[in-house]
Amino acid sequence: MDFRWDIIAEYAPFFLKGTLLTIGLSVASILIGTVLGLFIGLGKMMRNKLYALPFKWYINFFRGTPLMVQILLVHFAVVPSFLGTTNAIFAAIVALSLNSAAYVAEIFRAGIQSIDRGQMEAARSLGMTHGQAMRNVILPQAFKRMIPPLGNEFIVLIKDSSLAALIAAPELMYWGRAMQGQYMRPWEPYLTAAVIYLVLTLSLSFLLNRLERRLATE
Amino acid sequence: MIQVKNLKKSFGINEVLKDINVTVKPQEVVVVIGPSGSGKSTFLRCINMLETITGGHVYVEGIDITDKKTDINKVRTEVGMVFQQFNLFPHKKVIENIMLAPMKVRKVSAEVARAKGLELLRKVGLVDKAEAFPDSLSGGQKQRVAIARALAMEPNIMLFDEPTSALDPEMVGEVLEVMKQLAKEGMTMVVVTHEMGFAKEVGDRVLFMDGGLIVEENIPKELFDNPKEERTKAFLSKVL
Amino acid sequence: MKKLKMISLVLSAAFLFILSACGTSKTNGDGEKKTLRVVTDAAYAPLEYQDKGEIVGFDIDFIKAVAKEAGYKIKVEHVGWDPIFVEIKGKTADAAISSITIDSKRQQTYDFSIPYFLSKNEILVPKGSSIKSTKDLEGKKIAVQNGTTGQEVVEKLFGENNDKLKKFENNNLAILELKKGGVDAVVADNTVIETYVKNNPNDNLDFIEDDATFNKEFYGILLPKGSKLKAELDKAVNKVLDNGTYEKLYEKWFKTKPDIKILKDQQK
Repeated sequence: MDFRWDIIAEYAPFFLKGTLLTIGLSVASILIGTVLGLFIGLGKMMRNKLYALPFKWYINFFRGTPLMVQILLVHFAVVPSFLGTTNAIFAAIVALSLNSAAYVAEIFRAGIQSIDRGQMEAARSLGMTHGQAMRNVILPQAFKRMIPPLGNEFIVLIKDSSLAALIAAPELMYWGRAMQGQYMRPWEPYLTAAVIYLVLTLSLSFLLNRLERRLATE
Repeated sequence: MIQVKNLKKSFGINEVLKDINVTVKPQEVVVVIGPSGSGKSTFLRCINMLETITGGHVYVEGIDITDKKTDINKVRTEVGMVFQQFNLFPHKKVIENIMLAPMKVRKVSAEVARAKGLELLRKVGLVDKAEAFPDSLSGGQKQRVAIARALAMEPNIMLFDEPTSALDPEMVGEVLEVMKQLAKEGMTMVVVTHEMGFAKEVGDRVLFMDGGLIVEENIPKELFDNPKEERTKAFLSKVL
Repeated sequence: MKKLKMISLVLSAAFLFILSACGTSKTNGDGEKKTLRVVTDAAYAPLEYQDKGEIVGFDIDFIKAVAKEAGYKIKVEHVGWDPIFVEIKGKTADAAISSITIDSKRQQTYDFSIPYFLSKNEILVPKGSSIKSTKDLEGKKIAVQNGTTGQEVVEKLFGENNDKLKKFENNNLAILELKKGGVDAVVADNTVIETYVKNNPNDNLDFIEDDATFNKEFYGILLPKGSKLKAELDKAVNKVLDNGTYEKLYEKWFKTKPDIKILKDQQK
């Protein structure tokens, strides 16, 4: 079977452009999703069941429905109702952030609840407020335990960002599809895209491993 | 100093404290003994509201801590607590464990907090461990750090919740030594313990709890040598 | 360079293995009447689509008529657009019918039957749009379905992969993008656009023909390069065109008469 390296070379600038946008989409969504996820996780842990309910259903909705549908909804319904027009990159970031926030919220909750109750009691018995105890005692310890599952979530998010091709956000997979559409050859574009995704996710795991090791020695 | 009136505490349908009335005077050392499940730890934890109180009132230095308007965080700065499981902060060095609360709650500067922390570590004999992480300490050392951490807030009252129960026998002495020293300096203390020797030697008064009630209270000599209640006799015959 | 060759060799071997595992056309005992495996992307009404799970459409009726003439049994399978080309390239399917336009780029890798269908692109715009012809598309945002001739023609006019062009997974999404104001026009096949406008009068959309710019396109049955079936199928296609079957099917699906002459002219 022949493999046409020449058309990959021809599309290299587009793959580069797409890769940069994929990195941009992923980084933005990871940051927004993490911050939002922290709030939603804390919201879900509220003692008052009524207050916690919206957060619980946020997580249920975004974890329980396909990301593809969420992206289409955000792109064709939510964003146009605010901007009056569509914006694929904006919609992709919004959808990916909202989606990953649901997973991050659960990771935060699990991380916080894995810390021994005595830690909170010791902090409170010293006169610290709940917030001070969270910030200074619980979260720093919980964060260390959250790194592996968060890393996992971030890797999934990088790959899931390929669904943005569906709404014509010109990221990596979009150019893979475009190349496929032009040459009617599936392997060259999709394997090239796969290799680039692999490089991206491996780089992220590498960074996370280093972070984990550094925190472990602290 | 501490006044407990008709204190009741339930976990669900399980009534752990039925009707507790106690007064602790300044500089008094009160030792609470009793079989496990008698409610003595819960009683102690009610004094600084680590447990929400089901009924009755607890006054600390005249302030009703069961009153919703009371700033419980402020009261807690006056009441130090030492736990059975030490509960040191594992992500912070020994000295940082001690400095954290004064800096965050009392807004003391880092230099002042460090100086105070080192002074307290000298007092409990662990100044050389200031830069160590808690995981590298023995149980007895951890508990001495925990005491220093509580003292850093300069409390007027110290609560001890079975401070030596999680320790290997050879380490019990060093912790009790620190506690004796504190008592000698005039600290008001409420101590839940199984160390009858400590109760006899240091306690001004001993409370015997069983089934969520204070069954008998007296000066140590009387309570140990001449118990009046049957349940006290039965318990003492088992532990002495 | 040697390294790259090694990698491509390993990858190729891997594909071959995967593809051969997918199975190929079956012959029954005596070997005279084969059952052909025909693949399609049944997402393009009314040419090929799924009606409650059953694959139907003009193309499907047509390929059945052709197979009958050629003396084959067929089994039509919906595999999706991209997989069509994998299957035909790997010879795991015997033929594909899926409104596939015959063009020179595709002919580098595949064979086609003689043309069986005429199609041309049209422009879909909101009613009252300033766009009246392809000339007016200059500088406008355009949505197309990825990999279609609509995309090709727009790229030929305004540059390959230009910034104003959005390639969608299918025409429905492209049209939705138009309705939501993300683009100014959609370029797609006449059958798609006209059917949509006819079926959705409330959307206030209009279609624009521009025969001067948009080339006529001809659909063919996609075959593996060098397929021995080509001669037999070509003969059968001509029979279906000549004996009135084609006209009957065309009227059934499009409610108008086909231009058979233009198809026959293409064969010259």
